[in-house]
Amino acid sequence: MAVHETAPGVALMGVDATTADLVQAALDGSRDAFGSLVESHWDRLVRLARSVVGDADAEDVVQDSLVVAWTRLAGLSDPQRFGPWVSRIVFRRCLRANHRQRGRIALEAIPEPSRWCDPEASVSAWQVLARLAPRQRAVLHLTAVEGMTDAEIAPLLGITPASVRAHRRRARAGVARIIRGGGR
Amino acid sequence: MKTRDDEELARSFEERLRISAGRPAAIPAGVARTRVLARLPEVSQPVPWLRLTAAAALVVVLIVAVWLGSPRPAGEGRSREVDAFAPALDPNVVMWVLDSRTTVYFVLSRDGSENRGVS
Repeated sequence: MAVHETAPGVALMGVDATTADLVQAALDGSRDAFGSLVESHWDRLVRLARSVVGDADAEDVVQDSLVVAWTRLAGLSDPQRFGPWVSRIVFRRCLRANHRQRGRIALEAIPEPSRWCDPEASVSAWQVLARLAPRQRAVLHLTAVEGMTDAEIAPLLGITPASVRAHRRRARAGVARIIRGGGR
Repeated sequence: MKTRDDEELARSFEERLRISAGRPAAIPAGVARTRVLARLPEVSQPVPWLRLTAAAALVVVLIVAVWLGSPRPAGEGRSREVDAFAPALDPNVVMWVLDSRTTVYFVLSRDGSENRGVS
């Protein structure tokens, strides 16, 4: 099951007339239209940022990214692709934030493997994600949470579909190793 | 066996990740909209291709102008000067300009004698 809770008419990777209309209006200077885009994409972008930089910085990173997106909107060649375009801006800014926070991520105690099977266990996914490379976190998130295909993930992260598969394979192996207590 | 266990662990983690991702954002979308709009610069700036191109052209023009206006090192442009001031030469005369003060003329003739000099 993938988590999709964006506003109706705003698809993650799909082509959507409403998004294109809002982008066009924003390009014509409508701040209100851009506000609607922010509102439609906010939850999805925060989910992505949380998986790459963690809860503490995610919403700041997304706000910064949206301001950057406004200033670069004229560079968006296809208004219908606003979703992946803005996701890419968020991901890049997550990488920068990650670089800054390197070394200050508190690696909390990893829970016992048995607790992963307990749906009530209050285990933070970030405890595990924080030990993976940022691209591995993003690939895992976009695959498992957003239900995106390799072909959709690749342009968003600026890598090839084969590289997406390799990152996912390494991420899954890393997750298993971390949960079993093997660390990185 | 270990691989199957790993796959099971990864699957259970991804399920946990989906649950975790389903949490609402701390800042609701409506509030985020207000905050982001408050931070936007006045207008969405178009990609300044025209300005970049004009700036690049200006730089090229300046470089060329400076290069043309700068004093040339000795020797540069010499051949044009020599062409301008040298007397009209017979087709049988070969002229070598060695430096700014030395020009060597070879005069070729049929009888094999060679009349030459240094100016």
